[in-house]
Amino acid sequence: MVLDLTTFLGHLHPLVVHLPIGILLLAVVFEFLSYLKKFEELKYALSFTLLMGFLAAAVASGCGYLLSLDGNYDPLTLNNHKLAGILLAIVSGVLYLLTINPFKRLLAGNRPLFSGLSLGLFLLVNYTGHLGGTLTHGADYLSLNWIGAEVLQKPATVGDALLFEDLIQPMLDKRCAQCHREGKMKGNFSVHNLADLIKGGKSGSAVVGGEPEKSELYSRITLDPSNEKHMPADGKTPLTADEIRIIKWWIEKGMAKKGEKISKLKDVEPIKPLLAKALGLGVEISNPSDVPNSEYRINPDIPEGVTVGLIDSLRNHGLSVRIMLHKPLMLDLTLPSGSGNKLNEAKPFIRQAAKNVVLLNLSQNGLTENDLDFLPMMINLEKLRIEKNPITDAIVHQLEGLTHLEALNLNETKITKSCLDRLKQLPNLKRVYSWHTVDK
Amino acid sequence: MSDHHHESFKLNTPEFRLLNNSLDRRNFLTKTSLGIGALALGTLMGNRVLGNVVSSIASENPQATLEEEILRALPHFAPKAKRVVYLFMSGGPSQFETFDYKPKLAGMFGQSLPDSVRQGQRLTAMSANQSIFPVVPSIYKFSQQGKSQTWISEMLPHTAQVVDDLCIIKSIHSEAINHDPAITFFQTGNQLPGRPSIGSWVSYGLGSDNKNLPTFIVLVSKNASKDQPLYARLWGNGFLPSEHQGVQFRSGKDPVLFLDNPQGYDGADRKEMLDYLSKLNTMQNEPYGDPEVQARITQYEMAFRMQTSVPEVMNTSDEPDEVFELYGPDSRDSGTYAANCILARKLLEKDVKFVQLYHQGWDHHGGLPAGMAKQCKDTDQPTAALIKDLKRRGLLEDTLVIWGGEFGRTVYSQGKLEAKDYGRDHHPRCFTMWMAGAGVKPGISYGETDDFSYNVIKDPVHVHDFHATVMHLMGVDHERLTYKFQGRRYRLTDVAGNVVRDILT
Repeated sequence: MVLDLTTFLGHLHPLVVHLPIGILLLAVVFEFLSYLKKFEELKYALSFTLLMGFLAAAVASGCGYLLSLDGNYDPLTLNNHKLAGILLAIVSGVLYLLTINPFKRLLAGNRPLFSGLSLGLFLLVNYTGHLGGTLTHGADYLSLNWIGAEVLQKPATVGDALLFEDLIQPMLDKRCAQCHREGKMKGNFSVHNLADLIKGGKSGSAVVGGEPEKSELYSRITLDPSNEKHMPADGKTPLTADEIRIIKWWIEKGMAKKGEKISKLKDVEPIKPLLAKALGLGVEISNPSDVPNSEYRINPDIPEGVTVGLIDSLRNHGLSVRIMLHKPLMLDLTLPSGSGNKLNEAKPFIRQAAKNVVLLNLSQNGLTENDLDFLPMMINLEKLRIEKNPITDAIVHQLEGLTHLEALNLNETKITKSCLDRLKQLPNLKRVYSWHTVDK
Repeated sequence: MSDHHHESFKLNTPEFRLLNNSLDRRNFLTKTSLGIGALALGTLMGNRVLGNVVSSIASENPQATLEEEILRALPHFAPKAKRVVYLFMSGGPSQFETFDYKPKLAGMFGQSLPDSVRQGQRLTAMSANQSIFPVVPSIYKFSQQGKSQTWISEMLPHTAQVVDDLCIIKSIHSEAINHDPAITFFQTGNQLPGRPSIGSWVSYGLGSDNKNLPTFIVLVSKNASKDQPLYARLWGNGFLPSEHQGVQFRSGKDPVLFLDNPQGYDGADRKEMLDYLSKLNTMQNEPYGDPEVQARITQYEMAFRMQTSVPEVMNTSDEPDEVFELYGPDSRDSGTYAANCILARKLLEKDVKFVQLYHQGWDHHGGLPAGMAKQCKDTDQPTAALIKDLKRRGLLEDTLVIWGGEFGRTVYSQGKLEAKDYGRDHHPRCFTMWMAGAGVKPGISYGETDDFSYNVIKDPVHVHDFHATVMHLMGVDHERLTYKFQGRRYRLTDVAGNVVRDILT
């Protein structure tokens, strides 16, 4: 219980600390403004302001001391901050005393001396604040180093990128370094560089090459968010699923090494789109069939969505609409069998949705190829079912531009062999069903 | 119908006073506290707890809205399978006489199962007291079939013809060793009754593609020995709204019980009657917000549409002879496994999302050779025919076919071992299932067992993994389809399950 209260009060430090900063700076402002005739009255407020500043500084120092017991801060900076903070409280207290009886006499009306001391107070506030800022946000948080720094070259291709330097390090910097870095090593652990990662922290080495399950880093970020040990802790932005996947891959395939070019590694293809995305490069898939997971193989030409209400309009016109994916919007349209007469009215809406249609089923509706004049617009169509319709070989013209078409069902139609031969020109067409036509 | 029926209801008679004044203490507290709770919940959880799913939480009915948000995010990725047909071989078919070829057992007939293999693992009470565990090889021969050169038993000559379409998983393992918990585990993801079945989850998550038929339909073979029971809770909805339960279609005059109009009623004003009933139910439900009332309304309407659609789909008289020949001699006898396979194809053609067939009689503790012969004769040809039929019709493109039981059987013989007769006890540690069709690699075998098919030695697939994979093929991230019940969120795989990515195309 006592321990908890200490921690709680300690955690108040970052909050309370802004009070003395504000109040004491205000006191300094009062002191100098009161030289001006217009603000002369402010000197009467000075005493009280200093008292408030002193009290706030004392409380902040107390909380700060409790927080420092948590450890995990750079000891040197911490020590300086502590001393400066205590000194600040003392100095503000002394200045306050100098404004009241009986100590007022000590100055003997030497106003410039008091102003000089106030200036000292001002500098001390700044110095202490700076050290405090360094402890929480890091030395490079407010830094002008970037002016002269060499801009890191963005790799031109995924293969050129260095797995650790270009991908992993930036991720860790973004997600973990706020708490795990030089100067604020929570859990005695820093993600500053690979050596630190391998050295690990309180719980041992953070990465074990080839074995994500044994790597503390990986297991902590994949724990259930409700678990106390889940990282990042305390509601800080967690790593995305993609980031976690890349880190796993780096530990697994990259053996958690550094300086390794991605092109040197094996089995890159499956994860390449992810890497490209993380690097901000365009997606390049050299051989789509190498990509095992359906999540990746999404045709980029499919528009993100359709006009509001279009799906309802399609449904109201007798079509059954199955949403296969929300982003981009992939649609599976079915005209229930025996409702071919509804097609004409639905056509304007079908045309509007044409590029989003991936699967289309118009089977058993008494349709001819002339009814299907919207087919050439469905450039992203992957599977088409037009079986059990009086369709003839002329359908080929409607299908010519459908470069994504993968499966075509022409069962029980009036097509002949010449149609099948001409369909072979479609680049992605893998399966054509022609039962009860050319093959009985 | 007289005119007053066209006005909206006016229920000002004393009988309805209670209903009209129904903002009682309980309702008041429920409504207001939920509202306040929801506001707090929304602030506390933000969008984080449920991933990107929850974008807003309205205050009126937080539960419904959260569930709606979860459903609205579906499908999570483009599904490969639009429909599933799950051929459940109830009783636990032996892997030794079907798919898991173990040539090394041939010379070990009658030898005791080495302790190093069994490792003291638990057995059922039926064979645990046996003094020896004599190894028994398959009495049936195996041969390599198809382009994939897959080993398959001579008992499955028809399945052998379609083996290049199958993805055979030899490393399925379960946690339950007896029928009830094992089949409940397969059906619901938990060994104890009470959770929704896999078909109900699919129905709840993905909805219907055919408004005139239930999303989840169950067919039970009549021509199987009922050695182990089946019961409706296996296709029950658990805590999901009850319109998602599996609807069993029976053979004979009444495919769905109580669907026909009573004698002497022609049904002409049925629709009108249901419309008014629905209004009444809606009114009743307004103050109480019980999802079961909503479910009942939905079911009445579904039943009405099924009065037309069911007789139509059950009628196989216009199927050509060639189809009956394909599915085998039993297929003309409605209610047999073969006839059910034809029916399943017809339901799939109508875009029914989840069709589950059950065929009992695989529980061969004794007399296994004869038992297997009968079971295989009843199921082999229709099963293979279903694959062939779906394939030629182009339906295998987006239909997932699953075959399997609740566990496998032991390498050792239970009871008396004779040269031509033996039995096998339950074995959950490894057994064989297969999948075919949408999204799974055809013509492969996945996972390996040891020489005794006793332990998995490569690529184990747990029941939860199987569930996760089926859901994945349907476009569902099994970790994101949840339903809150008794204070916590449940999913089909609860807290486990990994998608078996290696078998996906």
